Amino acid sequence: MKRAQTKLPGAVVVGLILAIVLDTVIQITWKLAVAHVPGDASLAATIQGAFASPFFYAAMLAFGAQLYNWLRVLARADLSFAQPFTALSFISVLAVSSHSLHENISASKIFGVVLILLGVFFISRTPYRTADASGRDQANPALPFP
Amino acid sequence: MSPELTGIIALVAAVTVESFAQMFLKIGAAGGPGILLAPYRRGIGRLPLSSIAASWVVLGLLAYGLEILLYTFALHLLDVSMAFPLGSLCFVGVALLSKMVLGETVGLIRWLGVGCILAGTVFVAM
Repeated sequence: MKRAQTKLPGAVVVGLILAIVLDTVIQITWKLAVAHVPGDASLAATIQGAFASPFFYAAMLAFGAQLYNWLRVLARADLSFAQPFTALSFISVLAVSSHSLHENISASKIFGVVLILLGVFFISRTPYRTADASGRDQANPALPFP
Repeated sequence: MSPELTGIIALVAAVTVESFAQMFLKIGAAGGPGILLAPYRRGIGRLPLSSIAASWVVLGLLAYGLEILLYTFALHLLDVSMAFPLGSLCFVGVALLSKMVLGETVGLIRWLGVGCILAGTVFVAM
């Protein structure tokens, strides 16, 4: 029998929020880093162009922070619980880029955003961690990423 | 082979590699491959972060690097309205690997959530 863990710890909540913020930062800075590279450029040219931009290094810095934060989250929560929350960064990236590009958001995009929010809501209603086979509460395991 | 088909193949490969990358990071974060036995062994303790765990994180990072290359390549060949929903199939891949390899409980509500997210990305990319 697998026993459910339902009470979501604060560290997981903070970690998930931080993951979405950092993911947004990474995607925006990455877009800015390759913004001056033509769309039909080769893969090598795209990479070369990215290296030349300071935004690339900002993206790499955020990526390092993201990795540490994500390992902290995964040390505490199920992968199949935590990973779907990253879909929220689709929404934040859409919000940031449509705001900066002064684009109108279509009705289909709004519907898609609602569906993603609903999906993440469903995930958030599930137990954040599968207990081990003994059903023992692992609330305070020796965490490799404190 | 048409550029679109090449793009789809590259994207499916990217999604598969990304799902494995996430699984490797989870194994590393949980302290090593002991997590693979956890659902099947009674009273297993969590192992401290060891060089074994760190090597799983490195494996995850290498897979991520490969995924970024494949995804960037695919984006050159595919329209975003196609690439974005296909890319979000990684939510399905991660749920499958979590259930089958990591022994996580993935119930109906969690699958429903994954399904909604997948459908949502189709509309967002329109």
